[in-house]
Amino acid sequence: MIKLLIDATLVGLFLSIPLSFFSYFIVMRKMTFAGVGIAHATFGGIALGFLLGLNSFVFPLLFCMVSSVFIGYMYKKGGFSEDSIIDVVFVFSMALGIFIFSMAKGYSGNIIGLLFGDILSVSDRDVVYSFFVSSLALLFILYFFSHFHLITFNEDLARINGVKVDFLYYMFWLVLSVLIVFSIKLIGIILVNAFLVLPALVGLNTSKGFKGVIVFGVFSSLLALIGGVLFSYYLNTPTGATIVLLFFLLWLASFAFRFNT
Amino acid sequence: MVEVKNVSLSINGKYILKDVNFEIKKGSFAAIVGPNGAGKTTLLKIITALLKPSSGWVKIDGVEPEKYLRRRRGIVGYLPQKAIVNWNLPLTVLDVVFIQDVKPFGFFRRYSDEMLKLANHWLGVFGIGNKKDELIKNLSGGEQQRVSLVRCMVGKPELLILDEPNTAVDAVYNVRMYEILRKISRKLGITIIMVTHDIGVITEFVDEVMCLNVKLHCHGKPSEIDLSRMLNTVYGESFGLLLHREQCKNCMFGVRDDKTSD
Repeated sequence: MIKLLIDATLVGLFLSIPLSFFSYFIVMRKMTFAGVGIAHATFGGIALGFLLGLNSFVFPLLFCMVSSVFIGYMYKKGGFSEDSIIDVVFVFSMALGIFIFSMAKGYSGNIIGLLFGDILSVSDRDVVYSFFVSSLALLFILYFFSHFHLITFNEDLARINGVKVDFLYYMFWLVLSVLIVFSIKLIGIILVNAFLVLPALVGLNTSKGFKGVIVFGVFSSLLALIGGVLFSYYLNTPTGATIVLLFFLLWLASFAFRFNT
Repeated sequence: MVEVKNVSLSINGKYILKDVNFEIKKGSFAAIVGPNGAGKTTLLKIITALLKPSSGWVKIDGVEPEKYLRRRRGIVGYLPQKAIVNWNLPLTVLDVVFIQDVKPFGFFRRYSDEMLKLANHWLGVFGIGNKKDELIKNLSGGEQQRVSLVRCMVGKPELLILDEPNTAVDAVYNVRMYEILRKISRKLGITIIMVTHDIGVITEFVDEVMCLNVKLHCHGKPSEIDLSRMLNTVYGESFGLLLHREQCKNCMFGVRDDKTSD
């Protein structure tokens, strides 16, 4: 059990750092609902993988990536609002997942784990993959950080200054999809969005400048993850729910510092 | 410097711009005026390669806008409409001033002494030298616009494209801002194309005025065109124009004393 705890903490450590960077841009661009949509797309992906007998992360990952590109494309080219397309993907994926699982008897026990996170599902392979995925995601967001800052400030200005806005927009969601798929084992589909919103919100409460916002976001994520994993083990509670409850308390506590900045 | 030839843009059969032709010489300060929906911002977007015209072409310094923009970053200083800029980012004034200077791993960047000297100079010119460490979201709307002008200038532009730079700027600073822009065009030879609704005041400061409402209805020196008549045509209704002239001694910031003004 101790090894499972260590593995879960490592996966959480690796994932929470890049997620906090993504959280900053998601909150600043007011796109928090997109995380919900992509996370829920995983449910449909897992169900499809189950139906086809492919029990691996590859199928949910592909499903998630296609969904994020679809959301981006319909928003950019289709003239629809981002929220409406996300909602369509969200309900379709959930409906597809429930439909498939309802026909496949014997799998329903794992659905709760998928939705709310399951510490027991973290394997050695997940630790290794999480390390590489997180490292690449962190490298990506750090490399293009000032590009994303300019895009978030004003897209036209970014284009005039030679930034490939559309390419980076799709890349942002693709990389985020990968992070989300790997986070789901720990935090679950329903609660993974907490890691796309709360880091930036805690950071904004406790810091003035963007660097401080992100650094405090990273620290709050790490604290919530490690604390949540330990609490869930000793209290025998669902991992994801415990992590998010702790994160929520951290966010409330961050208001105490808000008045000092 | 900027040549616009037979430029039209239509969407679903409706013309946003139709057969627009003009040329603006290097170092000229030009204003585009016209009612809402006249195609002013669209025209600026075509000049900056953000939009492609349905027909016609634009050349800057003899080349297509895309090629011109690729010469170096900052060669075109662009100030978008204030409403479409995200002012809520946790950035200081200095961060915004250098936001378009994108670099790999920009999260770790520090501003060099040379950059700080340049920023301090232009922040001083636009009267916000004491604000550089403040958060941009805490500044007034007018001050944010001034920061945007500083951002344009630190890129050492050859062409300034300004979409309503006087939005949220108070009446006192409005005139000062036009004076600074005029000096920038005359002393530094920077070409300025500016969209504005400030018709009464700009004629005193700009070299050229363009009246646009889908078509270009007039283009010339403010003194050479019957602006009142042209604006009546462009706006489509009776238009009382109050011009701000230097010889109008009792005029203050575009407000006229009827007894003494011209």
